[in-house]
Amino acid sequence: MSKITIGITGINAVDNPGPGVGVARSLKEDKELDVKIFGLAYDAMEPGIYMDWLIDKSFILPYPSGDQTAYLERLYYIKKQYGLDFIISNLDAELPLFIKYQNELASNGIQTFLPTQEQFRLRGKDRLIDVAEKINIKFPASKVVTSYTELEKAVDELGLPVMVKGAFYKAHRAYTTQEATGHYNSIVAEWGYPVILQRVVAGDEMNVIGVGDGEGNSLGLVAIKKMWITSSGKIWTGITIKNEDMLTAAESFIQRYKWRGGFELECIVSEGEVHLIEINPRFPAWCFFATGVGINLPSNLVRKAMGIPLLENADYPAGKLYVRYTYELITDMEPFQLISTKGEK
Amino acid sequence: MSRLHQLAINEEGFIFDPATGESFTVNSTGLFILQELKENKSTEEIVVALSKEFEDAPETTERDVIDFVAHLKTHRLM
Repeated sequence: MSKITIGITGINAVDNPGPGVGVARSLKEDKELDVKIFGLAYDAMEPGIYMDWLIDKSFILPYPSGDQTAYLERLYYIKKQYGLDFIISNLDAELPLFIKYQNELASNGIQTFLPTQEQFRLRGKDRLIDVAEKINIKFPASKVVTSYTELEKAVDELGLPVMVKGAFYKAHRAYTTQEATGHYNSIVAEWGYPVILQRVVAGDEMNVIGVGDGEGNSLGLVAIKKMWITSSGKIWTGITIKNEDMLTAAESFIQRYKWRGGFELECIVSEGEVHLIEINPRFPAWCFFATGVGINLPSNLVRKAMGIPLLENADYPAGKLYVRYTYELITDMEPFQLISTKGEK
Repeated sequence: MSRLHQLAINEEGFIFDPATGESFTVNSTGLFILQELKENKSTEEIVVALSKEFEDAPETTERDVIDFVAHLKTHRLM
């Protein structure tokens, strides 16, 4: 098997980390998969750039919200100069671009393994209720609002506290109608309409990570419970679980929608009932947890896309603990100078 | 299989529920009762077994076992 060069975004391993470093680490763990990892960063300070035991070479990309031609040309430059066979996109902000141009990228020799446009739209809060029903789990009572009048009516119906959410991004908890109005205004200003108000479900935060092969089959699933989270809600300590209702729902999700690529279902489990909160159409930042318990999802995603025999996923054990920690890396100025001045190192 | 039967129980009385990720600890008496319950023993059988296992078992043993089982039910383990 010849070496595969894989570009990975989201190498911003900061306090609210991107998934890239966990994805890179997972791929390096698969000793049968001979990979060279290119870190695709948006800022010279992204820690992954300096983690040379995982990331073999790094490049700065233009922002995906800017000129899309410039973005693609940057990728083609990397392909031409250094070779680039595959990209794993790990950030919400760039996924629409990669999904839109996945065929064009493929025709230029850069493979991806992403959901379709229609699958990508399933994560919209206005679609989740339908998804939850079809995969046989609950969805917290919600109201779609587009005006102050509707907002006040929704608060009356749902009660307080209430979650105020954008259709795709942002979620805030509000304890008063005034607070809900403030969050509504900020979401509309940043992301536009509609805004979704959702009843708060008290319970345990449990998530499933998986990969669908695009034909209705799972390439691996792992369920976890978050035990300790940061102030921004990111996992710091977690444990693997076997919540059969949640795992069955994830299987149904893959099968019913023929999901293609990595995903995470965020759920709240309350009194034994599973409530769907979010669908993330990519790997979460904790994806190395799955690798650590024997389910290497990034590797199987690449293997499936590249036609390489899949890893046989053994069942994972419940009760395995995940502990995130901070680490300091001391290095020379040179890599920083190179990435700042040349955009690559 | 019931949640009770899925519980991972170690010798020190650390209990892990793989369905919910919750963990808790029990003392030696609680550990004994849990192991008996996993073997599908009835309350009466557990009271008799406890009295044999612990020579100084109090007269309130039956009520304590019933309370313990009720506690497990509130945690949806039974």
